[in-house]
Amino acid sequence: MSDLSSYIGFDLPTLEVNLIDPQKMKTMAALLRDPYPVHWDQNANESLGFGNRVINQGPLNLSYIANMLMEWQGPTCIKRLKAKFLKPVFDGETVVAGGKVLDVLEESSSRILCQIWLSRGDEIVLTGEAEIIVTKEETD
Amino acid sequence: MIVSEEEMLDLRGYKFPGGVRTVEHWENWLLTDCTTGQQLPDNLVHPIALFHVPIQGSGCSISELFSLVRVQGAGSVGLDGYDWEYFHPLKEDVPYLCEGEVIDVQRVKTDNGKIYDRFVFSIDLLNESDLLIARVTNHWRLWRKR
Repeated sequence: MSDLSSYIGFDLPTLEVNLIDPQKMKTMAALLRDPYPVHWDQNANESLGFGNRVINQGPLNLSYIANMLMEWQGPTCIKRLKAKFLKPVFDGETVVAGGKVLDVLEESSSRILCQIWLSRGDEIVLTGEAEIIVTKEETD
Repeated sequence: MIVSEEEMLDLRGYKFPGGVRTVEHWENWLLTDCTTGQQLPDNLVHPIALFHVPIQGSGCSISELFSLVRVQGAGSVGLDGYDWEYFHPLKEDVPYLCEGEVIDVQRVKTDNGKIYDRFVFSIDLLNESDLLIARVTNHWRLWRKR
């Protein structure tokens, strides 16, 4: 795919995150100094009708997409992330990060625009756009 | 929590104190581990650091932000969206100057009688040469009546 326009419509290699770990949410809450109990106190979410599960941090949901992009095009490929959070993700769930190339933004810098999403089964829980720099040739 | 619309609208233009934030290796390692991703090479900071580093670097904290916008308790705040721009990669052990402000507040009344405040703030990260490294614009939803 040396011609960038040939990337348009390309489905990015997906990344699956299995059984989201509530312990990582606790570490994340400590790093963020996030006092919001929905991420670490199971009892806090009962009143919200979520049972005794904790809610994954939005940044962690987005991180799975960032990891998917970096696995595809390297650790410095991300130039912009725009995300819209649609549904909460809970501990123990499995999600899949995916995307599709929408457009070539700048040929000279190999900058492309991708639609991105995080799904749980057939449900999209996070959607958005990413601008990334393509440095690796896709071998399809 | 009941907060008047005027009180919220007055937050537009509020500037965070500002400050300097450095990401050390241990923090970046744990942050990356939380994402379930592989550790990055060359002292690169994981891109998801743009959630908490700008907030903390601008002299604030998530807790202080919650106080500023008068929310507390489970279900009182949600994320609407992010727009994060990376002009240069972030590196461990590099001090970043962080400065930002509240750029928009709107009270929204939904068709089914719910009320929330749309709260938008933006923070720039610059290096010691005043080079713009990254910019975040975060959209939060502050529930007033659900």
